[in-house]
Amino acid sequence: MAQANGGSASTAAAAPATGASGRQAGASEKSKDVRLNNITAAKAVADAVRTSLGPRGMDKMMQTASGDVLITNDGATILAKMTVEHPAAKMLVQLSQAQDSVAGDGTTSVVVLAGALLQVCTGLLAKGIHPTSISDAFATASRLADDVLKGMSFSVELEDRETLIKAASTSLNSKVVSQYAGLLAPMAVDAVLAVAVPRPPTSSAAEIGVNGVGSTPGTSIDGDLVVDLNNVRTVKKLGGTIDDTCLVDGLLLTQRAATGGSAGVRRVANAKVALLQFCLSPPKTDVENSVVVQDYAAMDRILREERQYILGLCKKIKASGANVLLIQKSILRDAVTELSLHFLAKLKIMVVTDIERGEVEFVCKSLGCLPVASIDQLKADKLGKVDLVEEISLGSDKAVRLSGVTLPAGVPRTVSLLVRGSNNLMLDEAERSLHDALCVVRSLVHRRFLIPGGGAPETQVSVALAKASKAMSGMQAYCVKAYAEALEVVPFTLSENAGLNPIEIVTELRRRHAAGETTAGINVRKGAVTDMAEENVLMPLLVISSALGLATESVRMILKIDDIVMVR
Amino acid sequence: MFGGGGGGAAGGMPFGMNVVPSVLQQGASEDRGEGARMNAFVGALAVTDLVKTTLGPKGMDKILQSTGGDVQVTNDGATILKSIHIDNAAAKVLVDISKTQDDEVGDGTTSVCCLAGELLREAEKLLDLKMHPQTVVSGYRLAATAAAKALEAAAVDHGTDVDAFRVDLLNIARTTLSSKVLSQAKELFAKISVDAVLRLKGSTNLDHVQIIKKAGGSLADSWLEPGFILEKKLGVGQPKRIENANILIANTAMDTDKVKIYASRVRVDSLTRVAAIEQAEAEKMTAKVNKILAHGCNVFINRQLIYNRPEQAFTAAGVMAIEHADFDGVERLALVTGGEIVSTFDDPSAVSLGHCDVVSEDMIGEDAVIRFSGCKSGAACTIVLRGATGQLLDEAERSLHDALCVLSQTAVDTRTVLGGGAAEALMARAVDELAPTVAGKASLAVEAFARALRALPAIIADNAGYDSAELVAQLRAAHAAGDAEAGLDMNRGTIGNVRALGITESFKLKRQMLSSAVEAAEMIIRVDDIIKAAPRARDNPHPHM
Repeated sequence: MAQANGGSASTAAAAPATGASGRQAGASEKSKDVRLNNITAAKAVADAVRTSLGPRGMDKMMQTASGDVLITNDGATILAKMTVEHPAAKMLVQLSQAQDSVAGDGTTSVVVLAGALLQVCTGLLAKGIHPTSISDAFATASRLADDVLKGMSFSVELEDRETLIKAASTSLNSKVVSQYAGLLAPMAVDAVLAVAVPRPPTSSAAEIGVNGVGSTPGTSIDGDLVVDLNNVRTVKKLGGTIDDTCLVDGLLLTQRAATGGSAGVRRVANAKVALLQFCLSPPKTDVENSVVVQDYAAMDRILREERQYILGLCKKIKASGANVLLIQKSILRDAVTELSLHFLAKLKIMVVTDIERGEVEFVCKSLGCLPVASIDQLKADKLGKVDLVEEISLGSDKAVRLSGVTLPAGVPRTVSLLVRGSNNLMLDEAERSLHDALCVVRSLVHRRFLIPGGGAPETQVSVALAKASKAMSGMQAYCVKAYAEALEVVPFTLSENAGLNPIEIVTELRRRHAAGETTAGINVRKGAVTDMAEENVLMPLLVISSALGLATESVRMILKIDDIVMVR
Repeated sequence: MFGGGGGGAAGGMPFGMNVVPSVLQQGASEDRGEGARMNAFVGALAVTDLVKTTLGPKGMDKILQSTGGDVQVTNDGATILKSIHIDNAAAKVLVDISKTQDDEVGDGTTSVCCLAGELLREAEKLLDLKMHPQTVVSGYRLAATAAAKALEAAAVDHGTDVDAFRVDLLNIARTTLSSKVLSQAKELFAKISVDAVLRLKGSTNLDHVQIIKKAGGSLADSWLEPGFILEKKLGVGQPKRIENANILIANTAMDTDKVKIYASRVRVDSLTRVAAIEQAEAEKMTAKVNKILAHGCNVFINRQLIYNRPEQAFTAAGVMAIEHADFDGVERLALVTGGEIVSTFDDPSAVSLGHCDVVSEDMIGEDAVIRFSGCKSGAACTIVLRGATGQLLDEAERSLHDALCVLSQTAVDTRTVLGGGAAEALMARAVDELAPTVAGKASLAVEAFARALRALPAIIADNAGYDSAELVAQLRAAHAAGDAEAGLDMNRGTIGNVRALGITESFKLKRQMLSSAVEAAEMIIRVDDIIKAAPRARDNPHPHM
């Protein structure tokens, strides 16, 4: 359909020029079709992820074109891999990605909400309500909803570790790794709190306010701490179970110690770490060079010189006091040779090679060292001090752990998370779930408000909006009421996925909320409606408020589209 | 389809007795008289119908789907028109005027196309009555002059009164933005764009205004940053904040300057010599860095990569070194900091450094950026757009760009007119008054012109789902009764006083719209022959393709 009417201007140009009235009717007929078509496509996407919502949601197995298999419960991941074609469906995929980047969690809810809103739109459009009227009413409803959500949230202190853990657990409970929530949730909280640093003074709202231009930047962030999740590194290693996942204080490198076959150093206490950006191998010039050998003696001499050259480098390194070397990968020449490894092993210096250039900044930040690009710059002040550097065995694989880092004050810390799992599918899903949990904690640091989960906020907003709609008139009242009804999709789906009777649960929920129990939600374990605050089902306000806001925005955008045009 | 190619069709036939000699090359075609006119009209009207639903505050959007699968959602007439495939000469004329409108004033690209289309629609009816095209054209010309005069008379100039002018600009910005995706946060964006344009102090060079798009947050989180933002990272271990920065902007290779002779190579007979050459190469680089440092800069920005060794040298000197800045970034940075892009470093005195108060690293959303505040050129500013999806951000950028264009043009020509169909109704009334005074058949064309002008408010009302015939009749009556400020209030679906509603448009925009639309319509009406050249033969190595 889209392709057919898209055609191009040339097919449109071929349409016979009938009277103006006929053309007008034809055009509006077409735009109605396009709109319904878009809504159907977008709803199909929403239906695809609907069953994965909530703690009893199902997982999806996805097979990529190359034959790889992926099992996930994460809405953003499912949609990203779905390779949808239809433009409106693509907008829903982007919607879940936007939610992922804003809040990191609730990527399924946001799509399910958008699908439900589109569903009620079809009804409203069929009644002949103009799309812009629906769109405006939805915008009003979304603003009202935001106020309701703020009203039912409660603030949380960062010192209150228990509550933060509860919020992280709520996110983890709906994932494949839910049985490990007790282990992973505290880890996520500790990791985020470790890397939280005071907001740099330059970006303060005050500076911009003084200039009198523009508004306050990033109004969605009002804490005095910022968390850069780039400072949390997740390392995946196959083997063990998720139980073995741990938080590494310091740095974990996936590279193994380079020993060159000989008995290299694998453990150094009181280490001084140097990050080298030059190579410990025979010299090589940028201009092409060739060494001309004329006789046997010359060959001998060259070998001796090479030995001498490398030994010189190694001795200088020893003299600088460094006893652990991290060497940046080089594509132009060998970073190390057998010979240099041999010398370094003799000098009791541990070597780790193949550090990527992109990793350098993270390593420097973690260890408090500076990269060294030439041997004469290798000085003691560029080294990082680490209590213990050792190569550890992880099943069949190995990794290097640097623990007990001494960092100068005021420098943001970094942490590494080592994720273990019995197979790659599990490992990948654990990493994604952990990322969601980290995002949840981060959004709590940025905006310290929690809200009960389990369908409580959606029901509360729905009840409040239905009430508010009675005070409005005209199209607006009608559309806001429809918006309120659409929100019930979340509790409905939650109970449906948990195998409960959705109608019974949703009506009970509605009744309790109308009676003023704002924290009543669905308890999937007991299969009944209970107080979510008591059940410790909590989530950050940001997750639900951004999900509602983004879903409404996308639906409004889809409503306003009246044509799909094929272009170059 | 309209008997296309009377001449061309004969091209392939064998030479016979009764065949008209083929004048045109094989494959070329010709449309004559009625056929040509029909062809031109149909094409132009199809294009008009395509974009007209996007007009006005309640206009709809279009999805543009490219063959590559990319999706764009837009409400901008110029963007739609320049992306569609068009194989019709007249339709191309309309696309061209919409482009011209985009270049000249930046907005009103849909309106100009609609007006031209409506003029053609009216002309088609007159031509059906066997009126000569030239008569129609002369009537249109008389009407256009009268309309332009009325528009000019109605224009208001607040250029000398700073406060009133700012209100005008805010109103124009709101009017422009209300038909776009930014309408939900139009107060904020009206303020942002007016502030940005006022910083330019009358210049129309929008290069000073940088727009950065960052996914995440909502549109309401966007803000205006006085200064410049570069989306790059600093070198490791370098100062994160430099005050009183002297900036050297360069485009130079920072690996060893290779000897650029084909297949140059060195021959040595020992490894120590290789080491010596390596050392020499390194020293050459160090010398280059020292030369750069001799310029007295404390921020060094290179368009190319800075390798490890030079980076280390810069770090040691406490200089902030930024590598791989993209071309746009470097050009704009040179513009706003008042520096120049350098590639040789032999003469520090001949090089002018850029300057700004503070250079610091900062975070926007998830990404680290480098912020230059207090730039030498006070005009410079950056608008940071936040929004849910990439499509939303792209469309927001287009809308904002339109608003900035119109505002910067208004800052030069400070006259304003009323929007919401008021200006069109005003012109239509002037044209209506002219009609009885015109002798001859051209007077019919003058009347037609007035109808075409009134079709614009009708489209706006149609798009909002209101009864356009009723509203336009009311509008016409109000203007006939002397209320020159009556226009469409699309929030309430009634006729209202648009000056009180603050619906204002730039005079230059309306003027340009009128003259381009009339010119384009004239041009198409006068066509009586379309000759299509034969498609260029391709030397295709695969004949079956």
